[in-house]
Amino acid sequence: MQLGHCRFDISKGDLVNQDTGEVWHLPRAELHVLTLLVEYQGKVVAKPLLESGHGDDTQLSSASVARAIFTLRSFLGPQYETLIETVKGQGYLLRHHRARKASYGLRGNWSKPLLLGLLVAICLVSVIMASLWWFNYTGKELSPALPLSLETVTLPSGQQVDMILYSPSKTNNELLIEQSQQFIKGLQLCPVTIWSRAFLSLSHDKQVLNITLRGDHYGQSLIRNLKISDLRQPKQFVTPQWLTQLNICSTSNGRTLQATRSLEAN
Amino acid sequence: MTRKGLWVINIVVLVCLLGCMAAIYQLSAKPNNFMLSCSSELFNHGVAGVDSDHYLLVDLVSKDGLAQINYRYYDLEGHSAGTIAMTGHVDSVDIERQMFAVSVTTKNEYAGIKDQKTPEHYEYLSYISGLNLNKSGMHSLSVQVLERDETKDYAVVLFQPSNTVCGCRLVH
Repeated sequence: MQLGHCRFDISKGDLVNQDTGEVWHLPRAELHVLTLLVEYQGKVVAKPLLESGHGDDTQLSSASVARAIFTLRSFLGPQYETLIETVKGQGYLLRHHRARKASYGLRGNWSKPLLLGLLVAICLVSVIMASLWWFNYTGKELSPALPLSLETVTLPSGQQVDMILYSPSKTNNELLIEQSQQFIKGLQLCPVTIWSRAFLSLSHDKQVLNITLRGDHYGQSLIRNLKISDLRQPKQFVTPQWLTQLNICSTSNGRTLQATRSLEAN
Repeated sequence: MTRKGLWVINIVVLVCLLGCMAAIYQLSAKPNNFMLSCSSELFNHGVAGVDSDHYLLVDLVSKDGLAQINYRYYDLEGHSAGTIAMTGHVDSVDIERQMFAVSVTTKNEYAGIKDQKTPEHYEYLSYISGLNLNKSGMHSLSVQVLERDETKDYAVVLFQPSNTVCGCRLVH
């Protein structure tokens, strides 16, 4: 009869710890109690029955039974001591399931390393997945660009236009700032304009100046993008003549919109 | 093994499995689909001081993780002055920062109508993208949304590394 890691030999009255090899020849009370518990395994054995002596004339005291239970649990060890359960007010019960599990001793021996192997495998897979995720996350992390400056320009009419500059670096932005000042000068000549915001950016190689104008006209969003390249040295992307030609003061950029619409229809 | 120990193992395994599921989902999730349509007026201040005007339409389409960018150039009369069509894939989408990264892997260039000189911007873009594609087989760019109004279907975006700001229509 297997009880946890112990084997109970009823005929010899021995309880053998199979892990340590320790053999405990059970004293009378322990043998009597354990024999009864095994006989009624899975059922509650009443205290009076345990104290009866089981065919023996000698009666066991309540304290002897309690001590026998205590010593049996001690021998089973902390891992299997709960096999013997106290049912309050009734008696004691030898549980089934641990004994059944332990009866597959062979499986128990190899299931432990298997379980450990499985755990290690799961942990390894988790680490690999986490590394992949981290690599994927950090490798493609995007850092947003912040505006180099934001300036509000007030026109003679009191209308305000926000000028927002974007540059890939914080230094060496003289050309962008100079061109934005040229643009502001041109804008300030306008009595009124439909544009409320202007975004300016200079390409990383300083070959192309990009200007995006945004405004609202009768609840409709208006956008005008200008890309200016300049092969000359020194560069003059924004000139008064070009601004006049651009007609940025106009409350309607009709030519641009019409042309854009006809292009989008292509 | 004690009951407590078994519970600890169970929870560790469960957490690992959930972590794996999350990582697999994250790695296999496809970015959102979107389309931007941007139109620009092109000006070139040449050495001779003559400005040559063109229009540029840029369509950036992302669908199921694939990306296509078409740069279409037109003269003022609306005649095609050349097209650069790029294809690649969307590397990542950062919804919180309103950014996405695109890797262009192939590029096709089409000339405009006969005797039509290609715009300076076409030559510039062709040169820059060709440099990256020939060097590393990939032309990487990122798009950051600076300002967006879904109700009016527009967004002002910043292309990097070219540092190009552009106002675009959002196409749903």
